[in-house]
Amino acid sequence: MLEIKNLRVTVGGKEILKGLNLTINDGEVHAIMGPNGAGKSTLSYAICGKDGYEVIEGSVLYNGKDLLSMDPNERAGEGLFLGFQYPVEIPGVSNMNFLRTALNSQRRYQGAPEVKAVDFLKLIRAKAKELDVDPEMLKRDVNVGFSGGEKKRNEMVQMAVLDPSMAILDETDSGLDIDALRIVADGINRLRGQDKSILLITHYQRLLDYVVPDFVHVLADGRIVKTGTKDLALQLEAKGYAGLGIAENAA
Amino acid sequence: MTLKRYLETPEVGKNFEKRKAGFSGTDQGWLSDIRARAMDKFMAAGLPGPKVEEWKYTNLGFLARFLANENFKILKTGPDAAETKRLFDRAYMGNIAGSVVVFVNGYFNPALSSCPDEDGVKFSIFSENPEAFRQSLAEPKQATSLNNLNRAMVTDGYYLEISAQTTMPQPIQIIHLATSGSDGQSLHTRAKISLAAGAKAKVIESFMGPDGPQYWTHMISDVDAAEKAEFCYFQFQLQGKQAIHMTEMHSTLLEKAKFTHMNLQLGAEVSRSEIMNSLSGEYAEIDLRGAYFGRVKQSQDIFTRINHDKPHCQSNQLFRGVLDAGGKSAFQGKVIVARDAQKTNADQSNKNLLLSRKAEANAKPELLIYADDVKCSHGATVGELDRDQLFYLRSRGLDEAAAKELLVEAFVAEVFSDMPGGGDTVVLQQRFIEKTRGWLSKEVSS
Repeated sequence: MLEIKNLRVTVGGKEILKGLNLTINDGEVHAIMGPNGAGKSTLSYAICGKDGYEVIEGSVLYNGKDLLSMDPNERAGEGLFLGFQYPVEIPGVSNMNFLRTALNSQRRYQGAPEVKAVDFLKLIRAKAKELDVDPEMLKRDVNVGFSGGEKKRNEMVQMAVLDPSMAILDETDSGLDIDALRIVADGINRLRGQDKSILLITHYQRLLDYVVPDFVHVLADGRIVKTGTKDLALQLEAKGYAGLGIAENAA
Repeated sequence: MTLKRYLETPEVGKNFEKRKAGFSGTDQGWLSDIRARAMDKFMAAGLPGPKVEEWKYTNLGFLARFLANENFKILKTGPDAAETKRLFDRAYMGNIAGSVVVFVNGYFNPALSSCPDEDGVKFSIFSENPEAFRQSLAEPKQATSLNNLNRAMVTDGYYLEISAQTTMPQPIQIIHLATSGSDGQSLHTRAKISLAAGAKAKVIESFMGPDGPQYWTHMISDVDAAEKAEFCYFQFQLQGKQAIHMTEMHSTLLEKAKFTHMNLQLGAEVSRSEIMNSLSGEYAEIDLRGAYFGRVKQSQDIFTRINHDKPHCQSNQLFRGVLDAGGKSAFQGKVIVARDAQKTNADQSNKNLLLSRKAEANAKPELLIYADDVKCSHGATVGELDRDQLFYLRSRGLDEAAAKELLVEAFVAEVFSDMPGGGDTVVLQQRFIEKTRGWLSKEVSS
């Protein structure tokens, strides 16, 4: 269970999150929508511990543990996964090497034995097949020369291999064509099928046609201003934020 | 006060007189003559000072003080056998087949060596057969003051000659060890490598010593590759923390000859690697690559020169540097394209990664182009680790040290890309990665 209480975060001295409250129970899928500049990405980075996102007040507990006192890699070890809006290219590091190092780092943190090379190969091949990803892609350098869709698919492969208990997906659907969107949605639903928690950050309603959330929140000006079900997303799609009385780019 | 261009070193002359009775080949009149004349030249010139452009980044004042050491001995005998064996076991790559030639404190060590003995290969050791070095000592490829000092004081060395159309089936490992007894010593070795037309050879040279003693390794190698010859050379510099390491390699390539040089600098307090090359036949190709690492008082200096004297030649330079707190580096790479060296293709790339704001990297590419139909490029960068890459890796579970390690490895891995040489290259790359990790895992002391 993720519990965020009165979270206030500054970036470069400017307050972006202004007292945000959110609780996600195990197995729930929450979607956060909101106008540009509302603080959606800031929320995901603050939960995962990126430098430069300074928490000035509030708490973030995951399964009762204080995430804010942990390094980003410890948060990952606790079962958190961040799907990036813009996955980073890392020339010179192959996907395979990266994923194996990541998986074994997490297993060491969790006190589990490292995965042997042979078993890792089997695991990653199986996951690539499930997600319809060309195994050749795994030999290439991390995200280097990948199209936008390939990068997002690669995030899904990483998520499947690392098998987090909570995934925060920051605009994973942006820039995807309809086929890629289905693959990404499929990856999310597989995780959901195992009773994992998911926080979807999205601009558009269309992902929610494939991954039906339990709750939809509207984030505006650093706070959650409205909570509902999938219907709320449909209303937003139809009327826009202004139509629901939420100021565009209120910050 | 103005700095002198050259540093005076009166003590060196006195030390030379004291040492000379112990030199190799004292029974050879011609050699004693060469030594004496070279010493005179060195004494007249002294060591280059910081005002000499080529030595701008490595101040040799400390070397002048080192050379004034009263306690010079000739260490021909006596290095501790157990220590020597321990160092040898660390330096020797058992998973690479082929002969091995070992020098300890500047002298050939027959007990640990198994010299090449193959048809079409001539191999000699200086202390056993100085005559083989006569020509290269009498007509040095470069007559700088340091080169003269080396000729005057030469302790030992090796001579390798490959006959026409002969391919050495296996590489030769040359291992230079310094023991704790080398404190205060200068070890002046030489090599002469000749490949006749169509000959092929590979030499892997390692330098290693303990952290305690301060010693000066000073090695000069001459390489001649005739038409269509191919020479592949690796240098692993794993000297002790207080060591001064200097190597000069001078190559001359004739038509269609190929020379690949990989230069990996990880140890020593002060290191200078000079790689001087002349492309003296059409369609000759040279590929220089290297990586250097420096931290805490360490200074790494790479100095290259490529003379494109003939048309249709190709040169490629790829160097990567990693500097942590207190480390300093300089890359000075000069390419000179002669007036009639049309259709020259010359690339140069030097990138540096600073792991701390207290590190320093200097990059100085120089291109002198006198021909008008050439393709020459150069690029030099100094940067830091990418914060977004670091966070991406850490968000996947890698701790800070592991994330940095992966990124640094990726940064330097490029020097091995498209490296020819088959299975041996894989072994050497693996060793390089291990040494890189070893270097990274050591605590930074500031």
